[in-house]
Amino acid sequence: MRNPESNRISRLILFGAILTLSLVWILISRVPAGSASTLSIAEPHQGFVSPDFSLPTLTGDKITLSELNGRPVILNFWATWCPPCRAEMPAMQRIFRDYRDQGLIVLAVNSINQDSLISVGEFIEEYDLSFPILLDNQGVVADAYQIGSLPTTFFIDGKGVIREIVIGGPMSEALLRSRIENLLGESK
Amino acid sequence: MFPTLQLGPLNIQTPGLLILISFWVGLTLSERYSARHGYPGDKLYNLVFISLAAGIVGARLSFALGNLSAFSGNPINLFSLNPGLLDSFGGIASACLAAVIYGHGKRLVLWDTLDALTPLFAALMVGISVSHLASGNAYGSITTLPWGIELWGARRHPSQIYEIIASCLTLVIILRESSHDSIRGSLFLKFIIVTSIWLILVEGYKGDSLMIASGFRGYQIGFFIVLTVAIFLYNKLVANTNTHITGNN
Repeated sequence: MRNPESNRISRLILFGAILTLSLVWILISRVPAGSASTLSIAEPHQGFVSPDFSLPTLTGDKITLSELNGRPVILNFWATWCPPCRAEMPAMQRIFRDYRDQGLIVLAVNSINQDSLISVGEFIEEYDLSFPILLDNQGVVADAYQIGSLPTTFFIDGKGVIREIVIGGPMSEALLRSRIENLLGESK
Repeated sequence: MFPTLQLGPLNIQTPGLLILISFWVGLTLSERYSARHGYPGDKLYNLVFISLAAGIVGARLSFALGNLSAFSGNPINLFSLNPGLLDSFGGIASACLAAVIYGHGKRLVLWDTLDALTPLFAALMVGISVSHLASGNAYGSITTLPWGIELWGARRHPSQIYEIIASCLTLVIILRESSHDSIRGSLFLKFIIVTSIWLILVEGYKGDSLMIASGFRGYQIGFFIVLTVAIFLYNKLVANTNTHITGNN
């Protein structure tokens, strides 16, 4: 059986080697200046630039996401047959009403290939929604944003970077307010 | 990536489900450890659930204090089920405080308690690693290596897979170590040392690292500090035990 002193020395050598190698790895694995960052890639994930798109609204106008740079955006994917989508719309309308003058944009993308124009029209009237409703006719934008369930909401900052994704709902008004106030505070 | 799981009308968030499963498995493993080593299992359960409850309440209150205007118009939102309304630092602090208060009140020995909780911690690390794969978070840096995976617009290190392998190996080591008696506190400190080592290693392959000055990855520095402290404490524990044995001799 080894004596405690030789065990102690072995331990010190082992731990010394571990700490030294860790420090070396920390130095080696530093990110070099000028390396590609996520801000140059458009992907539907937190920290990446939001994929650009152009979609028609219910009123026939066209909205292009990249033209909204400089303003924070709530991008919400929804459908009239989705109960949590319906449940969170009143809160989204209140948020839009309270913060639109500060530059907030709310875009509600309806996958119209899974819904109907009549239902959407009735829904807007029922909930008295005033933010743009975009029609994703072929589901192309939903595919680009890898929408697997509804509702899905993207919080996009003034530089077009996705800051948070909320899958499912309904989102509470406090959640919406806290996120928007942070984004608006940054863009001031 | 599989962020959601459709089960009939239910749409379940997979990352959360995986962490819940790992929590349940880990608690079972910790219970077995407790039974084998004479640690009071009922007190372990109480400690865990009191800490969990305190953590959730603390996380919500901490978030609300930092975002008062978001709640002032509708205070009922304080009871919202949205997990996005939780502050993780506030939650961890509350959980730790509750654990200390409960442990002190029940006269639980700190090192014995930490050892008993180590299988739970190890299982949770596996759950967190798998949840990263499910959500696409903790993605890797860009690489040309043949085992790179296509994720988020580039070929990347499969850092989530590295995490899963490392955390599973750690769990195996911990389960083997826990099957025999050892110095009080050594199981927990071994877990911290092994986990810190692989966290430092894997962080170097991540594409979403928190950067600090000169390209250094902030979490690597943090894990290195934890590793150093754990090694120091482990050496001290072993030295004190040897001194005790020598003294007895």
